[in-house]
Amino acid sequence: MTALKGLALPVALLVLWQLAVVLSGMQSDTIAAPDAIFAALGRALTEPAFWADTGDTLAAGGMGLALGFGLGTLSGVLFGLIPPVGRVMRVTVELLRPLPAIAILPIALLIFGFGYRLEVAIVAFGTCFPVLVLTEAAVRQIEPRLSEVARALALSPGARVRKIVLPAVLPRLFVALRLAAGIGLIIAITVEIAANPIGLGARLMQASNSLRPADMYATLFWIGAIGWALNWGMLRLQLWLFPATRGAAQ
Amino acid sequence: MRHLHRGLWFMASLALLVALIWGWQVLADARILPRAFFPGPDRTWRALSRGFASGTLVADTLTTLRRLGLGWVLASLLGVGLGALVGTSKWAQDWVAPIFEVLRPLPASAIAPVLLLFLGLTDSMILTLIAFGALWPMLLTTVHGFSNIHPRRKEVARSLGMGRGAFIAKIALPGALPDIMGGLRLGLTVALILVVVGEMITVQGGLGARILLAARAFNAAEIFAGVALLGVIGLVTNALLGLVETRALRWQRR
Amino acid sequence: MLETTGIDATKSGTQEVLRVDGASVRYGAATILDGVDLTLNRGEFVCVIGPSGSGKTTFLRLLAGLVAPAEGRVLFRGAEHRAPSREIAIVFQDYANALLPWRDAEGNVSLALEAAGVPRAERAGRIRALLSKVGLAGSEKKFPSEMSGGMQQRLQIARCLAQEPDVLLMDEPFGALDAMTRQKLQDELLGIVRDSNVTAFFVTHDLEEAIYLSDRIVALEPDPGQVCRVFDVTLPKPRNQLSTREMPEFLRLRRELFDFIERFEP
Repeated sequence: MTALKGLALPVALLVLWQLAVVLSGMQSDTIAAPDAIFAALGRALTEPAFWADTGDTLAAGGMGLALGFGLGTLSGVLFGLIPPVGRVMRVTVELLRPLPAIAILPIALLIFGFGYRLEVAIVAFGTCFPVLVLTEAAVRQIEPRLSEVARALALSPGARVRKIVLPAVLPRLFVALRLAAGIGLIIAITVEIAANPIGLGARLMQASNSLRPADMYATLFWIGAIGWALNWGMLRLQLWLFPATRGAAQ
Repeated sequence: MRHLHRGLWFMASLALLVALIWGWQVLADARILPRAFFPGPDRTWRALSRGFASGTLVADTLTTLRRLGLGWVLASLLGVGLGALVGTSKWAQDWVAPIFEVLRPLPASAIAPVLLLFLGLTDSMILTLIAFGALWPMLLTTVHGFSNIHPRRKEVARSLGMGRGAFIAKIALPGALPDIMGGLRLGLTVALILVVVGEMITVQGGLGARILLAARAFNAAEIFAGVALLGVIGLVTNALLGLVETRALRWQRR
Repeated sequence: MLETTGIDATKSGTQEVLRVDGASVRYGAATILDGVDLTLNRGEFVCVIGPSGSGKTTFLRLLAGLVAPAEGRVLFRGAEHRAPSREIAIVFQDYANALLPWRDAEGNVSLALEAAGVPRAERAGRIRALLSKVGLAGSEKKFPSEMSGGMQQRLQIARCLAQEPDVLLMDEPFGALDAMTRQKLQDELLGIVRDSNVTAFFVTHDLEEAIYLSDRIVALEPDPGQVCRVFDVTLPKPRNQLSTREMPEFLRLRRELFDFIERFEP
């Protein structure tokens, strides 16, 4: 029932939009009727190029996420386990963190030129810091009793990380991964819109530049659907893997 | 004692940063880092002072700051206002709020091409992009804050005979403030990203346009100077908002 | 001492303040209160006891005007009463939620004055008087988070007194406090009620607390909630935590109430 109520307004708006376009009989370079948009989306879904663009965005975003998440977790665990390292890095991290990831685009552009590597680098930079902060906090908050157990068992530092630290922070690491995945997709699309001529973002810009509103809105809709599905899927996965994180789901 | 301890670590941390910058300089001087990409702190500093002396860097910084401020304030007013309306209305929460949840994962920058069609390569396109993109976090956190008011507080308001206006001003708004402050902070982060993206796309002045043009001209020192300034803007605006937050939420500290 | 106390109620005559006539309250299909009758007179202290599920809190909310009766009616000073009134103040058990954490002690008391439209110039003096009346002089600038549970409940009582109410409704106000604080607050509350001549309606699950405070005790029975018996408490005033609790009359009432409540224990 509540889901139906939630659908009512968007559906009503779509119908109104369609009616307005049909009744006014307008031809526009900026607005397209919902039926034209859905037709454009249907067409696009049969085009290999459309899927190639989707693949480019997901691959570049995914690789950047893997790199950024890896770096972020590694340094987060290090900073959390050895507090002096975390403390001594504090100013450097706090200085780099508020820098908008997109601002390093020109630097990355100089180094890598257009293409995958440019996007991977920026996504990695942008996802690394939130993951670092969340991981460090998670490691710090491990039950002190567990650390005592590790000491009592005389575990080596490597075994300590593998057997105690990682399992204890795993649920919160996954939450960090879920948030970072959302950020990664946003950065990937943003890089493509701002400069990089690959992926869905570039497709969106081309449709806009060549005044094809139906294609543009169809791509926008598709990007929204991917973002939504990614968020939904990761949330499901998180709740299935770690039911105890339900409270922190939002 | 605790303060002293913290201060010492801060100094050590600062020293590490200075050491890192110095190391960067050494590597740049030794030509280990390619000069074309990494100009070294000295050349970055020279680009900064040259830009400030000629006035172009000042103008670009002010342009970016103006857009950031205007867009963010616009987004805050709209986001908090709409959020208060939706958060205090049962009807709006049932019928309107679900759309927000669907729109939330949509990358804000993805609407830039749409705005380009409507507004072209203009200043107002950048402002609209910031206002629209930064609005969502503020809207969502405000709705959350308002809809989580404890029912007891509503009963207190009723038994004191308070009207809807007094209830919002004296109970709902201050109660939602911690959530709203979080939204304002998140919105600022989004706004800073979008101002850079908007300026890169439209090339209508500002630091975003400046560093993109510098990249096209292979002028690494100029890029680093611009990026450093953007970093400072991010740092300072965040710190200012943090100060406001600590003051406004003084009552939360024990 | 004796001649100035204990006879206030009779001196001012039995003036009716609140009356409940055959009131029933339902939530959906469930009947919480069924045909309840009660009259509260000016200056009277009435406690409500009963096993859980007997609708004590609902009874209080009915008197407060926070819930409307499905049948019957509630009369406040002779007129039908279906919405909260400023003349009826409510002290909630969960003081942490009832107080505004972003206002200090002064600010919380001020809220009631602001709502009543008291001019700014008058507020400061009245706030100070109210805070010292509940023993919070010197804590004007403290936030609730800086106060103990007992102080926070005192603050809530001060805010309620700021409404200058005819009736003070209290829902297990001392339930979350430790025994020492509780006894101290009981005595202070009796003093406040006597001095301001308000009518007190006090919900509690602590039988001794009910006897100690009351002029009358209303015992509710559950499923659905109904008034089962009314006990008159004739213990002399002012009451004393040691001697009152040792009087034969106190012990007799305690025995009677325990017997009553035990019937409903599983």
